[in-house]
Amino acid sequence: MMPTEKAIEIGRELAERWSWRLETRQPEPTRLDVILTSPADLVPVAVALRVQRLGYLAAVTGLDRGPDGGTLELLYHFCHGAAVITLRLSVPRQGAVVPTLSDIIPSAESSEREIAEMFGVTFEGLRPAGYLYLPDEWPEATYPLRKDCTPPMLAGAVES
Amino acid sequence: MQETTRSELFTVPIGPQHPALKEPSHFRITVDGEIVTDAFVRLGYAHRGIEKAAESRNWVRNLYLFERVCGICSHIHATAYCLGVERLAGAEVPPRAQAIRVLVAELERIHSHLLWLGVAAHEAGFDTLFMYSWRDREAIMDVLEGLTGNRVNYSANVLGGVKNDVDDAQRGAILRAIDGLEGRSYHYLDVVTTDALFLQRTRGIGVMTRNQAEVMGAVGPTARASGVTRDVRVDAPYAAYDRYPVVRVVESAGDLEARFVVRMRELFECYRLIRYLLDNLPPGDLRGRMPRRIPEGETVSRVEAPRGELFYFLKSNGSDTPERIKVRTPTICNLTSVVKLVIGHQLADVPMILAGIDPCFSCNDRTVQLDEITGGSRIWTWDELRRNSREDGHGHRD
Amino acid sequence: MDTATSLAAILVFPSGFFLLAASLAYEWVDRKLLAKLQNRVGPRWFQPLADVVKLLAKEEVIPEGVNRFLFVGLPIVGLAAPLTAALYIPLAGLGPVFSFPGDLIVTIYLLSLLTMSIGLAGSNAVGRFSLVGATRTLTQLFSYEAPFLLALLGPALVARSWQIGTIAEAAGERWFILTQPLGFLVALIGLMGKLELPPFDAPEAETEVVAGALTEYSGRGLALFRLGKDVELVLGLTLVAAFYLGGVEGPLAFFLKTLGLLLVVAGLQAVLARLRIDQTVGLWWRFGVLLVLVQWGVTWLLEGAWR
Repeated sequence: MMPTEKAIEIGRELAERWSWRLETRQPEPTRLDVILTSPADLVPVAVALRVQRLGYLAAVTGLDRGPDGGTLELLYHFCHGAAVITLRLSVPRQGAVVPTLSDIIPSAESSEREIAEMFGVTFEGLRPAGYLYLPDEWPEATYPLRKDCTPPMLAGAVES
Repeated sequence: MQETTRSELFTVPIGPQHPALKEPSHFRITVDGEIVTDAFVRLGYAHRGIEKAAESRNWVRNLYLFERVCGICSHIHATAYCLGVERLAGAEVPPRAQAIRVLVAELERIHSHLLWLGVAAHEAGFDTLFMYSWRDREAIMDVLEGLTGNRVNYSANVLGGVKNDVDDAQRGAILRAIDGLEGRSYHYLDVVTTDALFLQRTRGIGVMTRNQAEVMGAVGPTARASGVTRDVRVDAPYAAYDRYPVVRVVESAGDLEARFVVRMRELFECYRLIRYLLDNLPPGDLRGRMPRRIPEGETVSRVEAPRGELFYFLKSNGSDTPERIKVRTPTICNLTSVVKLVIGHQLADVPMILAGIDPCFSCNDRTVQLDEITGGSRIWTWDELRRNSREDGHGHRD
Repeated sequence: MDTATSLAAILVFPSGFFLLAASLAYEWVDRKLLAKLQNRVGPRWFQPLADVVKLLAKEEVIPEGVNRFLFVGLPIVGLAAPLTAALYIPLAGLGPVFSFPGDLIVTIYLLSLLTMSIGLAGSNAVGRFSLVGATRTLTQLFSYEAPFLLALLGPALVARSWQIGTIAEAAGERWFILTQPLGFLVALIGLMGKLELPPFDAPEAETEVVAGALTEYSGRGLALFRLGKDVELVLGLTLVAAFYLGGVEGPLAFFLKTLGLLLVVAGLQAVLARLRIDQTVGLWWRFGVLLVLVQWGVTWLLEGAWR
């Protein structure tokens, strides 16, 4: 297994010098953030990471920038040893469509379903099946992990 | 009509309530006679909305929330959370505290692996092994209770350190318990590798090749049984694992037997590590200084839970509540493999293959249903939820 | 035999009440021994009786879509068959109540009837677990029945009789376990397979098919089936003891020998992991039948040499 610094370096070269020429950041010594500019880049970059054996898809995190920010952010974390390479993809809050990674990484399906149910992002190519986590009778278009989903019961729990 | 009746008859539902499952989840197994032809999984029966709830609690309260993600590996969740928050805050944790975290984590691993051994043996209809391993597990539960005051949810961690010290009496108790368990573990390793009837149920069953394990993103002992050298304790040492190095246990067969052997051999590694750690416990404080406000930032905290890599993503917006905490538990990574692996096996092997990954559905299901964790202040009924969604102008579905 | 004695034999002793009480006691011994071997406390002595009383007092839920007549009737057949078989078996160290040349075959058929009833009951219920369990029960029936029967025929071959009483007498003269050890082994393990005891409990493996064929049964039906199994345990142990362990002359020998066998059965239950149904079938047809046939061959040669 290649050392962490080398993995980060290869990841950076892959992101910056290849045809997609993406911006990267290194917030911590073991982490590399790759800023994707369009959903179309996601699959090629993920394939490139796999081809270079730069880790496996450890998790997909959804971030809601809030109703004011107007965007959701998807974070695809690829772990290799101590290195964590994160593909960051910003998508609009309404009607976001992102290609699925489940064709090349089977374990992505559960993560993507979670994001779809919790944040309301549509994953193109994901085979349709009911809810994975949410109850069957869950109301449509209610995405619980979005910031503006504030059920009244949570009001009491917030404290300063 | 006739056709649908037929196909429905031979879909065997396992769960949400089923004797094979100790926690609720739902598997739809389509069988042709005794052979599984398709499998489908449905989760969420133990969803408690922890990720959402975390966004409305302050950093200190969240520690106790995340400790309750899982009843078996509670300490490792709290450790992952603490390590992440401490990194965000730039806080120094004293070496003794980090060592005690490792100590409790390894004790927890022993208890989790022994518990798993019992459950897996029970799935195989080997109740004697189940009873014996759970009896022996009590020794570790007693040690943990003596150390932290609790049998589960030990609450050993606080932000910036640990709560309890280890004194000489506790050290003696731990060593005694481990000495006793080591002999038993040799016996169990012997049983799972030589008992002819048991081997009929494990050898060559549920084989996952190394390549499959890599592609399906398996983690923890499940992956290590297939020859994948993934162990966060070695790859990215956290807490005090850089001072107390772990030897990675890897098997190559990839079948159920290998999963038994990996976990049993990991027990010996735990015993060795705990002995070494107790002999080399650094002196010093138990807690470092911890700022009340956590600066803005993001971090990733990865630890090796008994079941595999546990992944925390923490984002702070500078206030006293987190912006977002994402928990990815090992079971969700390994569950993909189960759904693929059972196809072609006998129905009788399904519970075994499922147990082989040591699934923990409480870990898996964290997110939505917000009624139980708020201390009973208010129960949110579905009607209220629907009304709420309508007020928000969203559509609803009956 | 006059009518009063016959009635007493059927209703009170040795069949009827005595047999039911003995069955519950044996179930308790089995459970307690297993618990002790597994380092558990185990049930108190009246637990099996309490279970039956509790089940009888409970509501019997009849699922929709089943044939109600069969659903209610099969448990009765399931208990009645072994109770009838008891009349031909030398229980409690006394001779059989009824006897005729060829009663061994009738008895074995009657003992199979319980398993048949369970299998039919499972097929009758429409639940999926019941269906899978019933398939397994019937599969197992077809696989162990032949070796068990053949194993019991070994002593019959030597005694040159199909009558249980005669065979038991012949067995009293010498212990067939010494001359036919393979036959004894197959008979004992066959009995465990017959009763779906671990490790041959695939038809009711709770982690796979909940309670197998009996999943839909509750209350009275379940109580009767359980009683039927307990009765069959006693009868089976008696048969094996009578045929292979030097007969059961007198109550003391009866209890000592059957309880000794029960200890062995409990030990086997404790140390073995459950077999899959295909492994059960494979074990029986590959090894069980083979062993018995070898035993027959050896017996035939030896007997021929003696005569």
